[in-house]
Amino acid sequence: MKWIIVTGESRGVGKEIARRILLEGTYGVIGISRSKGAEVEDLQQLGGDRFVHLCYDLDDVEGIKTLYLKKLKPLGVLYGFVNNSASAYDDIISNLRVDPLEKMFRINVLAPMHLTKYVIRDMLLNKTKGSVVHISSISAHTGYKGLSMYASTKGAIEAFSRNMAREWGARGIRSNCVIPGFMDTAMSASLTDEQKDRIYKRNAMKKETEIASVVSTVLFLLSEQSSSITGTGIHVDNGTI
Amino acid sequence: MQEKLAEIFMDMFQDNGLSAPDRLDPDLHLRDDLNMDSLMLAELTVRVESEFSVDIFEDGLVETIGDVVKKIEGHQQS
Repeated sequence: MKWIIVTGESRGVGKEIARRILLEGTYGVIGISRSKGAEVEDLQQLGGDRFVHLCYDLDDVEGIKTLYLKKLKPLGVLYGFVNNSASAYDDIISNLRVDPLEKMFRINVLAPMHLTKYVIRDMLLNKTKGSVVHISSISAHTGYKGLSMYASTKGAIEAFSRNMAREWGARGIRSNCVIPGFMDTAMSASLTDEQKDRIYKRNAMKKETEIASVVSTVLFLLSEQSSSITGTGIHVDNGTI
Repeated sequence: MQEKLAEIFMDMFQDNGLSAPDRLDPDLHLRDDLNMDSLMLAELTVRVESEFSVDIFEDGLVETIGDVVKKIEGHQQS
């Protein structure tokens, strides 16, 4: 069986991505998150032996090599990687603190870069023409008060993805980003209704981005249907223009 | 070990449409003599790692076939 890694599969968009991959039936899902397992029981039931949950804190960037060699590689061939897991440290820049900023960069940038390293190595070893999809954010493209630090992690990932596409395209390995607008998930839970309304008014459709639409786009970019798409990003943001 | 390594090299030359040398002399330079580019060297790394459990490019410079052999031997002795 070929596997797709989905980080942060225990809730929100990540969980829905994992669920849809399992329902679609072609690939198995390796979920990587800090979850102890209770939150992913339904995925386990849905996927059976096509779902594996690995409890791992992506703050531990150095441990990713061992994670790959000891846990991921023995499972079989990797076909895809969905970099969905992210932490948000939101504040205005004048309040910036180094520790939470560094932690966010480890989780949002360094960890997915390291995971990508081993995903590419696995694809090289097995001659897999695989697909990597990063979940970015509309905040990397338009400005929002308090999101500059979070947005910069997503900007970094978009640049990484574009250059990876260039680097590995000759081996048939693709990399793309999905750029969602604001969704109603745990990630935006700290916003007040008034703040949410203000944000939603900035897009053409005047509402929150639908998770299902984001997930469908991720599945499309993973699939053969998108075989000529690499090094780009697809905005799923209700037209935040 | 030498035989397995030769097999990896020959496979890679074939896959990448490069002409294989008559024999894998330790002095042969991976880039200059064998025309291996950075992507091929990456592939060599993962194939050698999978076979011998050592990442040949992780520390220090590896330029020739002899360097690769030394890395593998060093790992096997440690």
